[in-house]
Amino acid sequence: MKRLIFKRLLLLIPLVLGVSLICFTLINLNPSNPAEVTLRVNNITPTNEAILEMQKELGLDKPLYQRYIYWLKDILKADFGNSYETKEPVLNEILQAFPTTLYLTFCSLFLIITVGFSIGVICAIYEGHWIDRTLRIFTFVCTSVPSFWFALLLIWLFSIKFDLLPTGGLEDINSIILPSITLAISYIGTFIRIMRNSLVQIKQSLFISYAKARGLKKHVILKHQIRNALQPFIIALNMSIPRLLAGTVIVENIFGLPGVGRLCIQAIFNRDYPMIQAYILFMAVLFILFNLFADIWVQIRDPRLRRCQ
Amino acid sequence: MKSLFLKTTIILFIIFFLVGCQEKRKNENINNNQLVYASTKDIRNINPHLYAGEMSAQNMVFESLVINTKDGIKPNLAERWEISNKGKKYTFYLRKDVFFSDGTIFDANIAKKNIDAVLSNRARHAWLELVNEIDATKVIAPYILEITLKNPYYPTLIEFAMTRPFRFISSKCFINNETKNGISCYSGTGPWILKEHKKNAYALFVRNSNYWANKPKLEKVKFRVIPDHQAILLALEKNEVDLIFGADGDMIDLNAFSMLEKENKYATLLSDPVASRAILLNTKQPITKDLKVREALQYAINKQAIVKGILNGSESIAHSLFAPTTAYSNIQLDAKKYNPLKAKEILDEAGWKLNNNELIRTKNNKKLVLRLYFNANNAQEKTISEYIQSNLKDIGIDLKIIGEEKQSFLDRQKSGDFDLQYSLSWGVPYDPQSYISSWRMAAHGDYQAQLGLSKKAWLDKQIKAVLIEPNKTTREKMYTQLLEYIHKQSVYIPLSYSRTKAVFNTRVKGVTFNLSQYEIPFEKMHIDNKR
Repeated sequence: MKRLIFKRLLLLIPLVLGVSLICFTLINLNPSNPAEVTLRVNNITPTNEAILEMQKELGLDKPLYQRYIYWLKDILKADFGNSYETKEPVLNEILQAFPTTLYLTFCSLFLIITVGFSIGVICAIYEGHWIDRTLRIFTFVCTSVPSFWFALLLIWLFSIKFDLLPTGGLEDINSIILPSITLAISYIGTFIRIMRNSLVQIKQSLFISYAKARGLKKHVILKHQIRNALQPFIIALNMSIPRLLAGTVIVENIFGLPGVGRLCIQAIFNRDYPMIQAYILFMAVLFILFNLFADIWVQIRDPRLRRCQ
Repeated sequence: MKSLFLKTTIILFIIFFLVGCQEKRKNENINNNQLVYASTKDIRNINPHLYAGEMSAQNMVFESLVINTKDGIKPNLAERWEISNKGKKYTFYLRKDVFFSDGTIFDANIAKKNIDAVLSNRARHAWLELVNEIDATKVIAPYILEITLKNPYYPTLIEFAMTRPFRFISSKCFINNETKNGISCYSGTGPWILKEHKKNAYALFVRNSNYWANKPKLEKVKFRVIPDHQAILLALEKNEVDLIFGADGDMIDLNAFSMLEKENKYATLLSDPVASRAILLNTKQPITKDLKVREALQYAINKQAIVKGILNGSESIAHSLFAPTTAYSNIQLDAKKYNPLKAKEILDEAGWKLNNNELIRTKNNKKLVLRLYFNANNAQEKTISEYIQSNLKDIGIDLKIIGEEKQSFLDRQKSGDFDLQYSLSWGVPYDPQSYISSWRMAAHGDYQAQLGLSKKAWLDKQIKAVLIEPNKTTREKMYTQLLEYIHKQSVYIPLSYSRTKAVFNTRVKGVTFNLSQYEIPFEKMHIDNKR
């Protein structure tokens, strides 16, 4: 097992290098001149003189491969460069915005786990019953509603009609309720389905029939079912965390939350390349790490998979 | 199971009730003398000598020597001024009762230091001719500052009054005696002090209790960042936001403005025409280089329908590039009004014929196909472009409309790769002098579009000359020649004169407009809770 973990950790290096190379090259292939873009986002008329000066300042007068090597070297020193727009270190900007996104993701994750898990279990218990059918319609609606529309609907209902919650911002603790629900809603539908289907499948397993034959109580059998159904639920959850972190853009925009999603969308609009590069790399590393974690976790839980390896 | 649902519902209601009570308690505590302004963008870096921050926020904290008003230039930090040496020497007599918010005295030394800091960064301010015209700055006495120009540049005072870059910041905020590489604080002499700033969330400005002029009646102004336009409207409806203010659909589009106006729940205001909305025609492209084609396009677009149908009648129809209320622009030019028959005739004359059973005109087997580019993020520009497309289709022109992301749109301006492009002037007080001055810069779409004109060299020379022409009558004549030429050459299809829009809670009083569409006069506003 240790060897396997070590091997997988070693594989991280070429993976991250590959991602960094693709991300750097693709962004630099963009036809816009970053020096010009920098001048424009700072509302400066891009005269030839100003462009040349800016190119020097940003180190764009050097060939692409050299710039890539410098960029990588700097990253190893935790220096992701300075934002073209604000001139601030990119890492500082990301670290400043990250707690908001993390907070939002954590609250959404809490909703996904509690609501997704419990409704999934209820659906499985009442399989085929009207309750199951109604809740499945609910899951279908959850996954198909566009989040921007749902967010506006929630604001209208809970902030304006019932005057219960603020429309946005992050100045008091209530402000996080509506954004978390918006971000979580589409995931909740998916997790209800995962939990329900796993439980229904396990219900038909031999060990459940045996447990029934032994005359075990219903709730004890359900406990066995849930324990076995948790595996796909947790794997999916693992992969959802980076997706949640990366998918906060719309929610942060509508609710005016100063998170990483907002930072990224602003960077894209302003062609703030150092920021975009850092964001992509950051997200890619998160996806790789969570994937690795899920893989290792599954293999620890299921010895059969280790034997296959 | 029923009881489970019932329990869940009850628990949810209790949570929301508790949360709601807490929220209501908070609302009761809201400071009644605070105005909340909704902004789609963060204030960012408000260094008054650079361009990265929100102009409205820069204007609150930092002041200029003089100010632009409807009645002309008025004193501000300078009590009075003298112009001598045939318009080349400006002597400013500064106020003696002005302090920066950090306690530093405002005098001629600090004024010179600020102006020098701007001049040391000339490349960044190339768009502003005044920066190129200033030859020397000199402190004559503690409160007397002398500025010498290379030429008698007539918009000197107008450009000194602009929101940036000639505004003043305390020397304590300078880094290495400069401001071009950043500043360490935001101490200005203005009516407001930036007290708190949470990036991308909010910025809180408080009244400057030591302000030298009339202190604002409001205690605080909060810029709340809400990037989504729909969310701004919902926040206004919940009274979390008091004011929406802006021009050209960047804060509120005209549909939403008209809807709120009809609702009668909020107060709405429209400024006088401030800027020009137009379509730029490229004189260097294969089809639009023909003056006849450009003329035909002038008659083919139904401006009245655009103003009435798309802009909800909130703007006035434009027949010349600048509104007659703009300085030097009240001149007699032929109004090229909507006349599709005339447009067709002109195109026939130009050789673009409509053959039987064909919808698109052709000339030498080439179809009359044009490309119009606009900023895809602006819903208004898209609708206007679609309407123009239908207008041109009626006279046998196939107009391809292409919405591009803002940066690509700007890249295209620079490359000149367009037949038609959506264009907006900068508005008063930048119009006409600063806007016209930018026509000489290769990075501007205007420059690229004018390159095919036979008298482009003359035009550029004329622009340079008019800016330093000391005699007002001669200047007027020169502007007339310049604007007549552009009009006759049909480089622009003027559509309308845009206005700044304000929608606000009725408890906010004293809402008005500054001359510049980018400034918000918070210091003139107050809250009336008795309403």
